[in-house]
Amino acid sequence: MIFLKTQAIEAPVVTCEKGKTYMKKSNENIESEISKTMELLDDMLPLKVYPLFRVRLMQKIELLPLQRKGYLDLRFALVSLLVIINFSFAFFLSPRNNERQETAAAIREVTENQSDDYTNQEFAYYDQTP
Amino acid sequence: MQKSGISSKEKLFKSLVAEHQEMVINTCYRFVFNREDAEDLAQDVFVEVFRSFEQFREEAKISTWIYRIAVTKSLDHLRRVKRKKRFGSLKRIIGAGDPSEDIAAPILDNPAEACTENERAAILFDALNTLPENQKTAFLLSKHEGYSNQEIADIMKTSVSAVESLVHRAKKNLHSKLYEYYKEH
Repeated sequence: MIFLKTQAIEAPVVTCEKGKTYMKKSNENIESEISKTMELLDDMLPLKVYPLFRVRLMQKIELLPLQRKGYLDLRFALVSLLVIINFSFAFFLSPRNNERQETAAAIREVTENQSDDYTNQEFAYYDQTP
Repeated sequence: MQKSGISSKEKLFKSLVAEHQEMVINTCYRFVFNREDAEDLAQDVFVEVFRSFEQFREEAKISTWIYRIAVTKSLDHLRRVKRKKRFGSLKRIIGAGDPSEDIAAPILDNPAEACTENERAAILFDALNTLPENQKTAFLLSKHEGYSNQEIADIMKTSVSAVESLVHRAKKNLHSKLYEYYKEH
């Protein structure tokens, strides 16, 4: 019974120690991989600038005011177009002068008719009776 | 008069480019790990410098101002790449992806460098991109020989002790990210 117990306890200890050794080695590997990876930043050689870099840059700078002017022109053209569209819609949708006069005449006729309806002879009877 | 003003501005600009181009390109290179991108970003940095030259107030050194623009542009670029990557993977899921996008861009400048170095650089690049932006900036600038902690603090508009703390945290986080990666692979 004791033998078995001892054996039962001893066996995992060995395995555990083996596991420990394995883990330690693995950790060492990981650490060395990490330090190698981190060293990349320290070992990075500084880039040398190609002479074309400045040429390209100065070309960009020379184009810069033109691009800005072009951009402004485009904006101005767009705003003008919107204003024109707006005014033309307003012009076409609003009633024209003679149409306006016709409408006014029609309204006047209707109001006159209404006033006639209530001021004609038939209604006068009701006005005169006490 | 105006012409002479423009030419003096251009002269000053040219001298600024000559003085800082190497530092700007290398700063961008540390962020993007790619020469072409670094050069394009450096071009954008100097175009921005030229455009907003009048807005520069001498609260900081002009070099600090230029390097700050370089850092901002690099971070913007990384954000764009991240967004593109996310969108690309979404496109791949729905089957509308462009297969040419899967071809990896060369990470290191020297073609003679071993494949493992390239892989290592890609791992480092990915791990760096998981860091918060302020940690990443402080750490990458600290790795650059040209910057002192005071300069990094000026670029990031913070204190030297804050920079030290950011660098420390970045190292710790980077270590744990790399540890996780190498444990799995």
